[in-house]
Amino acid sequence: MRMNTIKSYGMLLAVLLLGISCDSPKKQIDISPEDLHNSVDRVTEIMIHDIFSPPVASRIFAYPNIGAYEVMALANQDYQSLVGQVTDLTPIPVPTDTTGLNYPLAALITHIDLSRRLIFSEEMLTSYRDSLYAVWETQNPTSFMTSKTYGLTVADHIAAWMDKDNYKQTRTMPKFSVNTDDPSRWQPTPPAYMDGIEPSWNKIRPFLIDSAAQFKPIPPPPFSMEPGTDFYKEVKEVYDISLEITEKGDDSEEIKIAQFWDCNPYVSVTRGHLMFATKKITPGAHWIGITKIASRKSGYGFNETLFAYTKTSMAIADAFISCWDEKYRSNLIRPETLINQYFDDQWEPVLQTPPFPEYTSGHSVVSGAAGLTLTSIFGDDFAFDDDTEEPYGLGTRSFQSFNAAADEAAISRMYGGIHYRAAVEVGVDQGRNLGQFVIDKLKMRK
Amino acid sequence: MAWRIRALISGLAFIGLSSCGPEEGSLFESRSAKSSGISFENTQTPTEDLNILDYLYFYNGGGVALGDINNDGLVDVFLSGNQTPNALYLNQGNLQFEDISQTAGVQGQSSWNTGATMADVNGDGLLDIYVCAVVGLNGFDGHNELYVNQGNGKFTEESANYGLDFDTYASSSVFFDYDGDGDLDLYLLNHAVHTQESYGKASLRMQRNYETGDRLLRNENGHFEDVSEAAGIFGGVNGYGLGISVADFNQDGWPDIYIGNDFHEDDYYYLNQGNGSFQEALRENFGHTTRFSMGSDAADINHDGLVDLISLDMLPYNEKVLKSSDGDDNVQTQKMRIEHFGYHYQFTRNMLHPNQGKHGFSETALMSGVAATDWSWSALFSDFDQDGNEDLYISNGIPKRPNDLDFIRFVSSDQIKKKINNTKLVDQKALEMMPSGLAINQFFQGDGKLHFNERTDWVGRDSTVSGATAYGDLDNDGDLDLVINNLNAPPSILINKTDAQGHYLKISPRFKGKNPFGLGTKAYAFHKDKMWYKELYPNRGFQASSEPILHFGLGAIEQLDSVRIIWPNHSYQTLTAVKTNHHLTISPEDTQPWNYASTESKNLLFTQVNDQLGLNFEHEEDNYTDFNRQKLIPYQISDRGPAVALGDLNHDGLTDIYFGGSKRKRSQTFLQTESGFIRSDFTNLAQDSIKEDVAAHIADFNGDGKQDILIGSGGGDYYKQMKPLTDSYFVSEKSGFALSDLPESFQNASVIAPFDFDADGDLDVFIGNQAVTNDFGRMPSCQLLRNDNGHFEEIPLPETNQIGMVTDAVWSDFDADGTEDLIIVGEWMAPLFFKNKGGILEKVNPLSDNPIGLWQSLVPFDMDQDGDTDYILGNWGLNSKFTASEKYPLRMYYADFDDNGQTETIVATAKDNNYYPLLSFDELSSQLVSLKKEYTSYKSFGGTSMEALLKKIAPASKPQVFEVSELRSGYLKNENGRFEFVAFDDPIQIAPIMDFCIYDFDHDGTLEVLAAGNYFGVTPLHGRLDGFSGALIEPDGHIRETHNLGLDLKNLSVRHLNLLAFNEKQFLLVTLNNAKAQIYQLK
Repeated sequence: MRMNTIKSYGMLLAVLLLGISCDSPKKQIDISPEDLHNSVDRVTEIMIHDIFSPPVASRIFAYPNIGAYEVMALANQDYQSLVGQVTDLTPIPVPTDTTGLNYPLAALITHIDLSRRLIFSEEMLTSYRDSLYAVWETQNPTSFMTSKTYGLTVADHIAAWMDKDNYKQTRTMPKFSVNTDDPSRWQPTPPAYMDGIEPSWNKIRPFLIDSAAQFKPIPPPPFSMEPGTDFYKEVKEVYDISLEITEKGDDSEEIKIAQFWDCNPYVSVTRGHLMFATKKITPGAHWIGITKIASRKSGYGFNETLFAYTKTSMAIADAFISCWDEKYRSNLIRPETLINQYFDDQWEPVLQTPPFPEYTSGHSVVSGAAGLTLTSIFGDDFAFDDDTEEPYGLGTRSFQSFNAAADEAAISRMYGGIHYRAAVEVGVDQGRNLGQFVIDKLKMRK
Repeated sequence: MAWRIRALISGLAFIGLSSCGPEEGSLFESRSAKSSGISFENTQTPTEDLNILDYLYFYNGGGVALGDINNDGLVDVFLSGNQTPNALYLNQGNLQFEDISQTAGVQGQSSWNTGATMADVNGDGLLDIYVCAVVGLNGFDGHNELYVNQGNGKFTEESANYGLDFDTYASSSVFFDYDGDGDLDLYLLNHAVHTQESYGKASLRMQRNYETGDRLLRNENGHFEDVSEAAGIFGGVNGYGLGISVADFNQDGWPDIYIGNDFHEDDYYYLNQGNGSFQEALRENFGHTTRFSMGSDAADINHDGLVDLISLDMLPYNEKVLKSSDGDDNVQTQKMRIEHFGYHYQFTRNMLHPNQGKHGFSETALMSGVAATDWSWSALFSDFDQDGNEDLYISNGIPKRPNDLDFIRFVSSDQIKKKINNTKLVDQKALEMMPSGLAINQFFQGDGKLHFNERTDWVGRDSTVSGATAYGDLDNDGDLDLVINNLNAPPSILINKTDAQGHYLKISPRFKGKNPFGLGTKAYAFHKDKMWYKELYPNRGFQASSEPILHFGLGAIEQLDSVRIIWPNHSYQTLTAVKTNHHLTISPEDTQPWNYASTESKNLLFTQVNDQLGLNFEHEEDNYTDFNRQKLIPYQISDRGPAVALGDLNHDGLTDIYFGGSKRKRSQTFLQTESGFIRSDFTNLAQDSIKEDVAAHIADFNGDGKQDILIGSGGGDYYKQMKPLTDSYFVSEKSGFALSDLPESFQNASVIAPFDFDADGDLDVFIGNQAVTNDFGRMPSCQLLRNDNGHFEEIPLPETNQIGMVTDAVWSDFDADGTEDLIIVGEWMAPLFFKNKGGILEKVNPLSDNPIGLWQSLVPFDMDQDGDTDYILGNWGLNSKFTASEKYPLRMYYADFDDNGQTETIVATAKDNNYYPLLSFDELSSQLVSLKKEYTSYKSFGGTSMEALLKKIAPASKPQVFEVSELRSGYLKNENGRFEFVAFDDPIQIAPIMDFCIYDFDHDGTLEVLAAGNYFGVTPLHGRLDGFSGALIEPDGHIRETHNLGLDLKNLSVRHLNLLAFNEKQFLLVTLNNAKAQIYQLK
């Protein structure tokens, strides 16, 4: 990731330093899949900086991909538009001026511009964009201008659709009401005791599924802290696992797995008056990273890469909507709260408990959906080395298939001490059911 | 480039110029420590293993103690350094000091010294020195050290002999005689370092912990025994003890202790039981406290003979800093911390607690003007300008602000994450990203009541990080000078220049036995009707002890009528005709026993009735939190109930009582019998429980001779055209009540005011509405219902559409034309007058000014006894973050700012001639997400004015702006039909005044107005408006707080006051929100 960023900066610098002779022949602006990867990576970095919660982050990945994909599909007979497949999407405007129109370039510009609208720290993206613009403009001003004009027109079109997905309205919807009198009800967890995030995310318009509740999972085991009940056993299991793996130490496989899949965008740390946060990518971003790895490994070109990103990011986004629908239906209390109450008031999970109800596990649902979607693109027997978390000091893990990675991501939440077994197992199923639906429904490659 | 360097150089030169040489203020001259011979500097050396990351109290600094160690009449100076040797300076006169640290043997062995105190520990007439140390943390070794004064300029360290060689996390110590046996005992304050990862239950304080638990040590013939546990002193792992104040707070003759604990742990208030033990009674005596408690001080600021208290916190005033700093909890987190974890109400700001003796403390810091002084350490009350009133000094500053939100959210992660996890080394770069927390030390001039005015002119602007501070008369000119221990800079020495401009009296008590300096001695000074009161406990502020004298500032007074000294052994003597400008040394002589009990007030006008006369009504508020739905609104609307109405419901000639229920809670009816009230609900009334009953009135509306009942519904939860928002009309039938028709209104009702305004013989009704659910800021309309044979018909009331958020209304003949007119008050509006012209209401304006308030209540009363009717108005009060004046009214902007179909409000207050939004960036941007694109750092948002903010949001439709120009309660004075607003005195302004009751409570032949209030429906930003006991307003405007009269309504939120006759006796019914109603028999 870093290497490529540096490389493209280097190229840019070279171009700037050499100076451009005015008479040099106009070149074809070549947009490679790396350009798309770089752009996605850039947005991922900004999202970390801006601290987007996992559901919101999934939305930020999806729209720019769809916008770019629609541009690409317009000019490419191998791909079919998402109009008619994705809720409320209408056909993008046809370009009025095709003089030198470079569709991949226009698609990339659409992607960047929609990303810009979605993130907060715009200048972190516009500086990147402007340096690319400068390169492209010197390479072929006419082609750049036409492509830019068209790319931005499409971005406007997609943005208008995007603005109607209820995101704005959900900002002013009620907060989750804490009621500690109900022993089963989720309550804020240490150390930051943050409000439950995105309690109305099920009101967001999904991309592909009919409704947020379409893949409504079975309810969690009935709440009871009577020893012997299923629920009690699940709480106890989380506690026992944590004792077991803590004893094994930080180098144990379980702790490595838990940390590898932590994907918590905001882990708050407090020491006295001193507070800070360690920030990482979200579960969705991790799977977007895997999509990049698979695309590269398969030697995908720009169009195929864009296709893979688009399909995966839509599955992830809908998985979050489906999962959040259940989270704020069952409003289940986290293991940390119960273990502190019933077993050990000093107990801390291996991972910091994220600020929303327990059931089902978001990472499990999303991994289930993303794993299956990627399998539909790249095949089941697809081994890969996942170095997505390298920049966060978490090393590389190798997997034989996407589904195997998804299984590990799911179980990691139990190792991490933040989920019960039901949330993980039911969650993966929920995600895979949703993923299968996405695969069956979508017709992208002709 | 070149010009920038030049600018930099000239900038440096400027700084250089301004920081050298003493600075002059109008009251204090800053002496350079060096020129005085004081070369001490508390220099800190952060290392890889020792810095703010490893030790949370790295920046707390050293201590300072003032006292005359060689009894030469000159105050000497002791300074402790964290990592540097301690220093002792002998005062040689003329503000010249000799460094005797080395020869005296007080430089110390501990790795990390903290608080310092001077006290005559062994009672030999010489001040000894005790220095606390943090030991056992970060490799710190050593122990607390006791330097016993040998009388020859030399000290010997004898802590072990005395049993005082503690190796704990000590921050401060106070020597005082808690058990009255004549020698000095010790309270040792230790601080916790427990991680803040989770709160943990409050009960953690019950389990003693060696390093962090506070200790009480009893002096047994020169050896100190740990009696903490038996004495009831908490010693848990969560006691972040930073502040300690000792005083006889409840005036029973035994010294009590206030402990300020940092972070989530409650402060402790230990009441000395006089039997060797203490009772911790914070909750019973304080409605709320500081959250990040730091230093504190205790002194009588309002001349009532009771020791008041200030506890410091870290709320910034400066907008840039304020909006970049981590602030208050949100409502839900606070609720969880209190209800689930068992902590008390704590808020991030300084707290000023006026003492009400045995009735606990009120809290007035916002009203008093001392709430926000930034990162504050030491507080010292003293009459610095000797004008006769206590002033306040607060030391400030921290080298780096670790609670800077940009650091927390954006910087820290990348820079220090790995360092912290791997090497514990703070990257210097990351530390540099933490903004500096330099904040000037502040002086406030007191007015002898509850107000303090900041006096930046009193002292030159400092650029130091200041902590422990002590006062003493260094130059023996009578006024008090200050020595301030700074971080990484020489101490500040502030010489007071008041001199003879204000008179003074200094008293050095000379007591007997093992307490020769007379710690615990009390002194009253009397002059005409004014009284001053002081107690000798030199440990004040933070990690410091001041000169052990009693200092009175006395203005122009040449001679006091008398001075009464109460000695620690509960004996007293009185001196008469005491000349001022004088240093008095006094020993016990011709003493008499002092009876503490005799000071208690016996004049009770209210006597609470234990059996309630059978009126066992407890109002239970429902769980709805307005701030969860409308996150930016300034206060709740869902908690204005319950309704209460008095009337004869069962036609037996006796007054019965109806109490409304909150949402989904039944209303309750109590019928009067000869033996008391008996709960007896009417089926129809009780079954209508889905509604929240906020207002009610019992009267014969249909003219059948029997009492009917009208109930106004509200609750702020039901919305749009939901049926439970409609009001109810029940008519009396043979066996109970039947629901009858009423014109529908889907608003939150607040008041029902019946009157036959058209003089047709039946009762018409005005119904006031307070708010529109989910659309705070949209002004509801009111209803005037004309009664036509028991059927109500809505008729238009002129110009009342959206007049304001109505809270109260009365029919009263304000223009003395013989017909009752209608007067309406409410929030974000001025009182409205409707003249009744033969059944036609006409809006008129008899106000000579335009007091737009957050009016809560209204009652007609002839305040000035001139025969016409004035109107008493209950307002919001001054003790919240709202501020308002005619020039700078409180403002509320109302619009759909983000064009998403849902309106928002943004409240702004003026500060230094500019308006700023009151809420934090996180709160605002949680609703208006676009702000996060406009302001990508907290720093960029900090200092953003409302004007600038509005430009950035620019909603499609222009926001409506509502204003409030008056927050004080007061009355409309009737001057020949014109009305002028006159505000009441202080105690009334502590909290919202929700209701009044008129009666001759003291049987003096004139009526008084009883005012009561308090309100809790605000976010932690404001705290809790809980400090008002109740007060009697005399017709001459004199205010008598009722806690001494038998009525203490602090920490209760009053909704209604009703007089109630029962068996020919008069009672007061106090109806409370979310609490049990109370009954008082009247004198």
